[in-house]
Amino acid sequence: MFENFPILSVITFSPLIGILILAFINRENGKWLRIVGIATTFIPLILTGILYSQFNKASSASQFTEHFTWLQFPLNLDGLRVESLTLEFNYSLGVDGFSLPLLLLTAFIVSMAAFASVNIKTRWKTFYILFLLLEIGILGVFLAKDLLMFFIFFELTLVPMFFLIGIWGYQNKERAANRFLIYNGLGSAIMLIAFLIIITTAGLTQVGDTANYIYTGSIDTIMQNLNDPNSYANTNVENNPSHLSEAMQTTVFIMLLIAFGIKLPIFPFHTWMLRVHAEAPPAVVMIHSGILLKMGAYGLVRFGVLLFPDHALNWAFVLAVLGAINIIYGAINAFSQSDFKLILAYSSISHMGIILIGLAAFNDIGFQGLIIQLISHGLISALMFLLVGSFYERTQTTAIDKLGGLAKAVPFMSAALLFAGMALLGLPSLSGFVGELLAFMALFEKYPIVTLISTLGIILAAAYVLRGVMKITFGPLDEQLQQQVKQDARLIEVIPMVSLMAFIILLGVYPSIVTDITQATVVDFLEQILSNGG
Amino acid sequence: MESMFTPYAWLIPILPLLAFVVLLVLGKTNKTFGISFSIAAIFASFVLSLLIFWERLADNASNYVWDGWNWLEIGSFQISLGFEINNLNAMMLVIVTVVSLLVHIYSVGYMHDDERKTTFFSYIALFTFSMLGLVIAENIVQLFIFWELVGVCSFLLVGFWYFKPEAKAAAKKAFIVTRVGDLGFFIAILLLFTYLPEPSLSFTYISQVFTTDLVNQIPDHIQFWIALLIFVGAIGKSGQFPLHTWLPDAMEGPTPISALIHAATMVAAGVYLVARTYDVFLAAPGALEAVAIIGAFTAIFAAIIGVTQNDIKRVLAYSTVSQLGYMMMALGFGTKLALAAAMFHLLTHAFFKALLFLGAGSVIHSLHEQDIQKMGGAGRYMKVTTITFAIGALALSGIFPLSGFWSKDAILVEALHYQVIFFLVGSLAALFTAFYMTRLFCLVFLGEHKGKHKPHESPISMTLPLVVLAVLAVVAGFVYTPFIPWLATWLTGEEVGDHLSWTVIFVSSGAALAGIILGWLFYGKKAISADKVAASIPWLYKLSFNKFYIDELYQVAVVKPLKVVSYLLDRFDEYVVDGAVRLTAGATVWLGGVASRLQNGQIQLYVLVTIFGFIIFVLALIGRRFW
Amino acid sequence: MEASLTSYLALGAFLFCIGLYGALTKKNAVIVLLCIELMLNAANINLVAFNKFSVSVTQDLTGQIFSLFNIAIAAAEAAVAVAILIALYRARATSNMYEINELKD
Repeated sequence: MFENFPILSVITFSPLIGILILAFINRENGKWLRIVGIATTFIPLILTGILYSQFNKASSASQFTEHFTWLQFPLNLDGLRVESLTLEFNYSLGVDGFSLPLLLLTAFIVSMAAFASVNIKTRWKTFYILFLLLEIGILGVFLAKDLLMFFIFFELTLVPMFFLIGIWGYQNKERAANRFLIYNGLGSAIMLIAFLIIITTAGLTQVGDTANYIYTGSIDTIMQNLNDPNSYANTNVENNPSHLSEAMQTTVFIMLLIAFGIKLPIFPFHTWMLRVHAEAPPAVVMIHSGILLKMGAYGLVRFGVLLFPDHALNWAFVLAVLGAINIIYGAINAFSQSDFKLILAYSSISHMGIILIGLAAFNDIGFQGLIIQLISHGLISALMFLLVGSFYERTQTTAIDKLGGLAKAVPFMSAALLFAGMALLGLPSLSGFVGELLAFMALFEKYPIVTLISTLGIILAAAYVLRGVMKITFGPLDEQLQQQVKQDARLIEVIPMVSLMAFIILLGVYPSIVTDITQATVVDFLEQILSNGG
Repeated sequence: MESMFTPYAWLIPILPLLAFVVLLVLGKTNKTFGISFSIAAIFASFVLSLLIFWERLADNASNYVWDGWNWLEIGSFQISLGFEINNLNAMMLVIVTVVSLLVHIYSVGYMHDDERKTTFFSYIALFTFSMLGLVIAENIVQLFIFWELVGVCSFLLVGFWYFKPEAKAAAKKAFIVTRVGDLGFFIAILLLFTYLPEPSLSFTYISQVFTTDLVNQIPDHIQFWIALLIFVGAIGKSGQFPLHTWLPDAMEGPTPISALIHAATMVAAGVYLVARTYDVFLAAPGALEAVAIIGAFTAIFAAIIGVTQNDIKRVLAYSTVSQLGYMMMALGFGTKLALAAAMFHLLTHAFFKALLFLGAGSVIHSLHEQDIQKMGGAGRYMKVTTITFAIGALALSGIFPLSGFWSKDAILVEALHYQVIFFLVGSLAALFTAFYMTRLFCLVFLGEHKGKHKPHESPISMTLPLVVLAVLAVVAGFVYTPFIPWLATWLTGEEVGDHLSWTVIFVSSGAALAGIILGWLFYGKKAISADKVAASIPWLYKLSFNKFYIDELYQVAVVKPLKVVSYLLDRFDEYVVDGAVRLTAGATVWLGGVASRLQNGQIQLYVLVTIFGFIIFVLALIGRRFW
Repeated sequence: MEASLTSYLALGAFLFCIGLYGALTKKNAVIVLLCIELMLNAANINLVAFNKFSVSVTQDLTGQIFSLFNIAIAAAEAAVAVAILIALYRARATSNMYEINELKD
């Protein structure tokens, strides 16, 4: 259907249409700004839906690829006795079984978050423009097939996020925005250095049989070169500046682990995201917790693990232990928080641990668990923060000590909160369980002790979720709250809540809907990892 | 015989699910329709269960397995959702649907004035769905899914009156404590998945592995742990020691729920689970021993607590714990007959305990009081409730020829064959049971009326289920008597030899009668002062009254440390992890401050620095030649 | 004695160093300005000297023309600089370089 149609570019840049229209709307015209802002997010949603219907599930290769050379810089280096050397930047997009689910998740969550942003009270125009810009960045990250493209899109998400947190956040928004930018900027810097090392070593490629050489950031070429024992990167001779030694590979792998570990976040790089969770407006946290954290996992798998499989395999135990630490540390910390948003933030840390557990297993079940956990946590945390936003709008607080008994005042929202809580603590038949089950099953064979310790997280999750959720909804309702909280969820809040709940149930009852798409790719990934790394 | 209805067994859980959806969507707008619909749906399930049960009665009816729906398929590993019908779960289906149907009808009267009654009905519809799904689950993961779902329904229903702080605490406790058990079950699944020769988790395959030579591929200690961890799951769900503490607290929920979930069905799911995976247990004698010991201990332990409790529902709750212990103990004996005996007790217990709870609910409904010390004389005003309650109490105490007598007899016979100590413990527990039931009956129904409210008989929708259950409590025992052990033959598929034991009959009847007479002397005739006896052994009374301080122990040993650790980790996060970050940030700012001294605004200094830089650069360029 | 390139270059270097020293150390802004002129002229001397002694046989006047340009630019520069100095003096009532540290922060 899309032989000559650049569907992926269209998806990625479709929010630009909205930005363009928004630019011509008066900044006071809140109603239309909102309508355009929300409506625009549906364009990528519908397009990704079509993409999903056209996607070939049986193939593990990148599909709908678009590729052309974007920039070329002629270079020359003394060490390489070559005729010409060019640094090449490619515009290269493609989608495979790993990125498609995340793409769908992105389009969906962004639409839901657009609904949630009706709670935004000021400067709608700027808000929606930044919001749509953010969407472009995220979509690009999941589609990029070139290291530099990936990096650019990755950075593109930072800037709008910074302003979205800093302008529309709560009390300490500026500090949170700063934290966010500094941490992520640091991560990006490390990532850039790692990428440049990769490009200038594994990226060196001969063009045909000529004496012309290029440095390329194309992921496919780099993977080929890394796996080819005769490539420049793997040839250890004198005067080969492109040789990527074992030690250097380890270094690059660790750099990528740190860069994406900050994003994920892996303990001890997590403190920035606590502040973002606590200070950013709910619509933005929905995207942040729902999708941006997943970019960390995506990058870690796509670059850290797939490019350096042998190192990843060597580090499997470390990954598993980091996962266990994340799970337990996040869960125990969540237990003592008094702000509901912080409970959720720590629970995110805990849930990201499950992703590491799934990854560390290095088998198909673990990988599928990882992907399902990514999707499922995206949906659940989006729902949670949507609810947090709605509750905050009514109560003006998220401190659980000040809340209680709201089930009487807002039964629908409370039921939804309970539902989200159940999903979060991994109730079977909801999506959270599937990822947990698969991840633990996968790792148990390999590292039983680590898995056993991690499974304690299941009990702890029940404890902190119920503590938070029941404090808010159960118990007697005090007078003041009763005065404050009158209206249950409005239609514009109900729509995203119900949609999110529907998908959480769907994924829990019929997880094959995701595993079908991913299976071929996962098998292929594992083949690459195990054959090149084993 | 051609099975006509069995292939449609999936309808049995689906119908209540449909009712749940209907109630969820229409509940608010049309209450009467929603409730009628859900009763109709569960009635249809009940009829279908009966039909399937009837089909199973045929000789040699083979087990029916359908696993057509791939829930999850990853490579060679596959989990399907399906159902399996065999004699064991056909019987469970009937038990669950009949009790659920009666509780539905009962709730129409009991919850009549509650404005959230459709919510209530939707919850029990969801529960019924989950419980039936659990019963017919085809593989162990599916069972686990429904296992958790019934837990959630229990949580929702215990916390149904969410505005009551006690209900909130009880719901939370119920969920978290059972989840500890569930974790055990979960790990057992992980172990099974890891160690089974093939990546399949269906019950058919599991029992195939554990009954053939394939079992030798699994190390012995792993076999033990699998069985034991499955049992840990059962401990949590069935309120066995030491995870029993949630069950008495769960009595904060509406009484019909206590009857349905916390007496007849869900708490029996633990027993069912062990019975369902009995082949695994048979392969691990160590685990079986643990089952027997914990069961026996729970039976006597909970019975002792039951003697001193003053809340009518809590007495019954401890009685439930004790009776579940009985079933567990029987399962621990490790024979097919013991399995049959345990399931038989599950059957009779479901009827008479549901009856007792519903009777208690009827009393509470009319008196608005739960403390038995403040009750009395209800018998004069509530004839039907009193008579049916009495039948239930006698059945529970094990009086001939009511159902409880036969099922206890079946268990005790097995106990006698196994080890005498279990027989003695069982008999002693029976004595306590009879004693506290008599106490309860005397304090509630006999004597003088104390409260302000004038008691009245409950409406027909509530008394009808009582009568039906009373009839069942009387007759259900005849399916398995020492003379005609039909149920055992049917369940185990083996011929059951003579296991009539007059010793057992006399001892158990004697224990029951002794308990009743003692109870009567204490509380009916008041010939012996209960207070004086309590005063003579104050430590025992105190221990029993305070439930052996298990809750307090958990508070000190688990909850407090968790809070402390959590607090410490929070500080750690704040000061060490984030402190390191702030330190780095501070160091950077300080370094910047130092560097910025150079920037004093004097253009001449800037130029000087530039020139020095230039000179260094030039020197470097020149120096390169001499390198 | 024929003047060699070296002596011209030495002169240029002397002039430049004097100019540089003055520009870096003098308090009075006018003197700093003068010193900058000195440095420019040092460069001019170099340009002319190189042109004169260059190996090239074409005998063009590139160096001389360049230095003429330089003089013109130096004049323009001096005019602008003096204008700035006057403006600064009006605002701050000083021509002391040490007190002019507006670039700070």
